[in-house]
Amino acid sequence: MESLLECKDLSVRFYNREANVLNGIDLSISRGEKVLILGPSGSGKSTLLSVLSGIIPEHVEAEVEGEIRLAPQCGVMFQDPDSQFCMLHVDEEIAFSLENRLIPRAQMDAMIEAVMKQVGLDIDGHTPIETLSGGMKQRLALACLLALEPEVLFFDEPTAQLDPVSRKEIFQLLHELADQHGQTMVFVEHTLDGCIQWMDRVILMNAQGSMIAQGEPAEMIQRYRAEMQEAGIWQPKLFPYTWDDVQDHPSHPLAQRLQQTLQQRRASALDADQEGKGGSAVIVTEQLDIGYRQKSVMRDMNIRIPSGEWVAIVGANGSGKSTFLKSLIRLERIRSGQLYFQDILLKKWSDRDLYEQAGFVFQNPELQFVTDTVFDEIAFGGRQRNWSEEEVHARTVKLLQEFGLESYQDQHPFTLSLGQKRRLSVATMLLFDQSLLLLDEPTFGQDARTSAELIKRLQQRQAQGTTIVMVTHDMDLVDEYANRVIVFDQGKVIYNGAPYHLFTHPESIGHHAIIAPLHYQLMKPEKERSII
Amino acid sequence: MKSNDSWLSTLNPTIKLVTHLLVMCVLMAVTDPRITLAIWIVALVIGLTLGGWRIPYLLKRLLPYTIFFVMIFWMMAAFGKGEHTLWQWGWFHITEESLNNGLMIALRMLGFVTYGLLVTSTTDLTAMIMSLVHQCRLSPKWAYGLLAGFRFIPLFQTELAQMKSAHKIRGYKQKNSWKSFIRYALPLFTQGIRKSERIAIAMEARGFTGTRQRTYYLTPQLTGKDGWYCGLLLVVVLCIAVVLKI
Repeated sequence: MESLLECKDLSVRFYNREANVLNGIDLSISRGEKVLILGPSGSGKSTLLSVLSGIIPEHVEAEVEGEIRLAPQCGVMFQDPDSQFCMLHVDEEIAFSLENRLIPRAQMDAMIEAVMKQVGLDIDGHTPIETLSGGMKQRLALACLLALEPEVLFFDEPTAQLDPVSRKEIFQLLHELADQHGQTMVFVEHTLDGCIQWMDRVILMNAQGSMIAQGEPAEMIQRYRAEMQEAGIWQPKLFPYTWDDVQDHPSHPLAQRLQQTLQQRRASALDADQEGKGGSAVIVTEQLDIGYRQKSVMRDMNIRIPSGEWVAIVGANGSGKSTFLKSLIRLERIRSGQLYFQDILLKKWSDRDLYEQAGFVFQNPELQFVTDTVFDEIAFGGRQRNWSEEEVHARTVKLLQEFGLESYQDQHPFTLSLGQKRRLSVATMLLFDQSLLLLDEPTFGQDARTSAELIKRLQQRQAQGTTIVMVTHDMDLVDEYANRVIVFDQGKVIYNGAPYHLFTHPESIGHHAIIAPLHYQLMKPEKERSII
Repeated sequence: MKSNDSWLSTLNPTIKLVTHLLVMCVLMAVTDPRITLAIWIVALVIGLTLGGWRIPYLLKRLLPYTIFFVMIFWMMAAFGKGEHTLWQWGWFHITEESLNNGLMIALRMLGFVTYGLLVTSTTDLTAMIMSLVHQCRLSPKWAYGLLAGFRFIPLFQTELAQMKSAHKIRGYKQKNSWKSFIRYALPLFTQGIRKSERIAIAMEARGFTGTRQRTYYLTPQLTGKDGWYCGLLLVVVLCIAVVLKI
């Protein structure tokens, strides 16, 4: 096959750093090939992508050594849907690509329509970009790239900022595109589900910026499982097996594992049912109506959150999950109805007492940091309340240890890694041993390892009696840890109960945006078979 | 800034802007409150006939400025200087001259606001910038940079709201407004700089060079009606100024 992209003995160093980001990379990519680059964070996989797409050294300065042969025309899709657009409307944004290519105005309308159709963007061309959802924005980003008529498409974690349903759709779209047009594609991803099965080659990098190995996806997954786990890559749930195999052969190792998980869930669900609904409630709502300004988002909510539970709130984007979470601690106003926090009306709580009892972890940790060092960040609340310095110190050190941050205590919070920032943002909310912890998509955009670490800490807290309420899109998380799941849909609560019953009877809510974890999907054909 | 479907929105944005700026210059030169009032009424008439404004919209938009109007008027009128005293009580001293001055300044402010609103309520931001590229030779490097920058404004707003709630939960008390400005501004700026860097790379990766060597999707043109609008409005305004002066 004809090779389209090539680099020999490629090394890259940024001027502000001493060590090389990339070391001696030899790579050749042929026309029509789909390549996936994997590696831990800091392994230079994004840098490699930038070099292959010509961004380095043309637009970003760096010292580049070695031989490189690039494709004449390429497109790059980035991870943050918001920071790749420069215009205000959909049609103008696509036209921006065409303008740069000096396409005459007369041909533009037809071309814009064609690429919009190709990416399944079935909206009016003059829609403002800011009103699109994350998944739609990534579709638009792809349309803008296709308008460049690229020979190679590069993707730098294109789905990291998307919820699982949109992620699945984007991967499906890319897969179709790859099949239909034989497009050459190079990916950097840390989620393998949805893309690994149609890749031709996987390249694995190590933390020092060298290539460890490359080969067929199935072979690579099996041989380098440990390295991938270490790198924090989300393991595929199914691949290298296929669903048909697992479904048809009950003796299949994965089928057995899934059955086992299912048994466990069933057993714990039965236990929970028998325990009943005793105990006090942290939160009780009566005919609660929430929203912002004149618009109500959720109406007539009657919810009871027993203390000590782990509650997950799920629902489509914009269904009011975050608004509900904020309303629980008065960050958003209640429109009507009653909300009791620990059996006392919420509005009767003083700010000071309320926030000693409840913590809130925001989606973007950076925007919640208020001081200059990690230590001060955790100690802040105590100092505001004039605690003695010894007490502040003792409590802070305990939290630093609990969240594995003691060696970073003098650093500025912004210099921490993504996972550390997330842990710090949780730790700051636990200084008063808050009895209620609210989290807005805590594992969003995180790699497998950092989110596993975070979940472990939360579990410890729950064991000590903290009630956890979190908004999430991750159904595996819901299934494994939550005692209760509340589903929001079109302004109403359509499900409130154990995750097991939701996943075993998804039809009861008729909600298609919920993809039950794999082991529940194994149940469906079982039932059908027994009917026959 | 969004376009509505009025006749005014079909005009060339640059011409519209320049014409209204010229009218504002006339407003600045005029010292008679009657003339200022008349020129302001012209703006209202244009808005209601050609600008697609409705009375409720107009009231909603101008209400905050009406409060300003009353305040400015009162300050100028009650504490101004002058010979012909009309009314006096305590510190308040209203004279014919101060009454005139107050009315003139307050009406001038309303006039400025209304002529400005005529532009912003009928012009699409993208069309405005592209018109500056075509009619005023603004470099594409600046034009597209500006457009990309405008996308930040709503983003800043949501980020600031989140930071404020985060501070509230942590019990942060705002002691010094300058200090709290620094506290909020720094993370916003760092995020902004990082984001703009990413956008710049994305734009260049899509072949943007910043030179004039490109084609354009939107090309606002100059047509006959732009000339008519500009000429007629200026003539009407100047006529009012001259006729009422006599």
